Amino acid sequence: MHLELGHILINDVQFGQQTAIENGVLYVNKEELINLIKEDEHISKVDVEIAKPGESIRITPVKDVIEPRVKVEGPGGIFPGTLSKVETVGSGKTNVLKGCAVVTTGKIVGFQEGIVDMTGPGAEYTPFSKLNNIVLICEPREDLKQHDHEKAVRFAGLKAASYLGKVAKELTPDKVETYETLPLLESIEKYKDLPKVAYVQMLQSQGLLHDTYVYGVDAKQIIPTILYPTEIMDGAIISGNCVSACDKNTTYHHQNNPVVEDLYAQHGKEVNFLGEKITNENVNLADKERSSDWTAKLVEFLGLDGVVISQEGFGNPDTDLIMNCKKIEEKGIKTVIITDEYAGRDGASQSLADAHLSADAVVTGGNANEVIVLPKMDKVIGTLDYTDIIAGGFDGSLSPDGTITVEIQAITGATNELGFNKMSTKML
Amino acid sequence: MVKEIERVGIPVVHVCTVVPISMTVGANRIVPAIAIPHPLGDPKLDPNEEKNLRRKIVNKALEALSTEVELQTVFED
Repeated sequence: MHLELGHILINDVQFGQQTAIENGVLYVNKEELINLIKEDEHISKVDVEIAKPGESIRITPVKDVIEPRVKVEGPGGIFPGTLSKVETVGSGKTNVLKGCAVVTTGKIVGFQEGIVDMTGPGAEYTPFSKLNNIVLICEPREDLKQHDHEKAVRFAGLKAASYLGKVAKELTPDKVETYETLPLLESIEKYKDLPKVAYVQMLQSQGLLHDTYVYGVDAKQIIPTILYPTEIMDGAIISGNCVSACDKNTTYHHQNNPVVEDLYAQHGKEVNFLGEKITNENVNLADKERSSDWTAKLVEFLGLDGVVISQEGFGNPDTDLIMNCKKIEEKGIKTVIITDEYAGRDGASQSLADAHLSADAVVTGGNANEVIVLPKMDKVIGTLDYTDIIAGGFDGSLSPDGTITVEIQAITGATNELGFNKMSTKML
Repeated sequence: MVKEIERVGIPVVHVCTVVPISMTVGANRIVPAIAIPHPLGDPKLDPNEEKNLRRKIVNKALEALSTEVELQTVFED
């Protein structure tokens, strides 16, 4: 499978008469976008605002972040099985609006939603402070059930991203990146001297607003399976997830998975990158055992030498992570796991809920319990009503002067377990 | 909590869904539960059946509490 990803560089976003891209500026017809989102009768009120890097703006509670993309050539459409019809994506050409994103906010859906500051110390912890954000403020119809509210806002974000992406369909990209994964036996033959490496991505699937969708299928209902990594670049995996902001994968993270990008960068050089396995993180033990058994079985069956495993979320998914690691290592296949830590505010507690000796190569996204003080911003998009109750917040998080004291857990993407952040240790 | 209570000499049964975590943490008597969001019940069952299920788990826990163990023990059905 071969995909050309055309980058259309967006340097600025402004409201305009017509939704279009000119000289790196994305113009958005606000009324047209609002009308599109309001087609869903579950949403009573929609507003759209723009937040740019460096502006004194706080967006909260952030539910999802989505990158606008459009299919230019090849089968299927963006977000197959959710917005587009179910058809295998990941080949041909796709254009991407690089440098901007759709962010969804409004009345909180689940208590674990995040904060994106566009400037100040908080901005350093979220990749989305560096983007020109088109923020949808969606208010649900009164009496709407929580899971219907989640679905409505999830679709609002996807629709807006698809609407904006479409204006790039005929444009010539500023830069083109090419990704290719051959069928397994061909790839093994082509780079037969290189170690055979694949990626195991764990998808948040605990239910109760902690959900991920694969071609429209709720990930808690999947058994571990295989994807060409380019499929996720076309939106095969999307977030319906209201788990802790710091380490959930937004749809933007799925579209731009850095593990996939880095493995492609080393493909044919240091490793033979043989694709992606996906598995889930369900809430009963039988599912955890079955999914980790099947993941290990698939990895063995494909004859791999090593895998990179990424987790999503924390707590009981730590067990899924350790089960995957242990069962794969028992088959003589090397693993590296990517996780984050909840080691307490002083960093002295046990970092993960589960552990095993075979987890001897670990990459961490950082300690989510670290406390940060976020100064008041001139403008809030969304509402500060929930800062005391979101995960990472506490009673008294919001001071009367507008300052917020929270654990970095509350910042969207702060300790992302795909490595989509910049936190590092100090070199002494 | 399991370990701290046992430290003062009171035996504890850990009823939990994710048995491996309980093993890692070091509980001595473990009774498997239903699921993380509803460890002692199952919303898919009708109320009578669910009551039976809950009673079964509690009885199993009481039985575990009164059983001598040498090593970490999982009390399966």
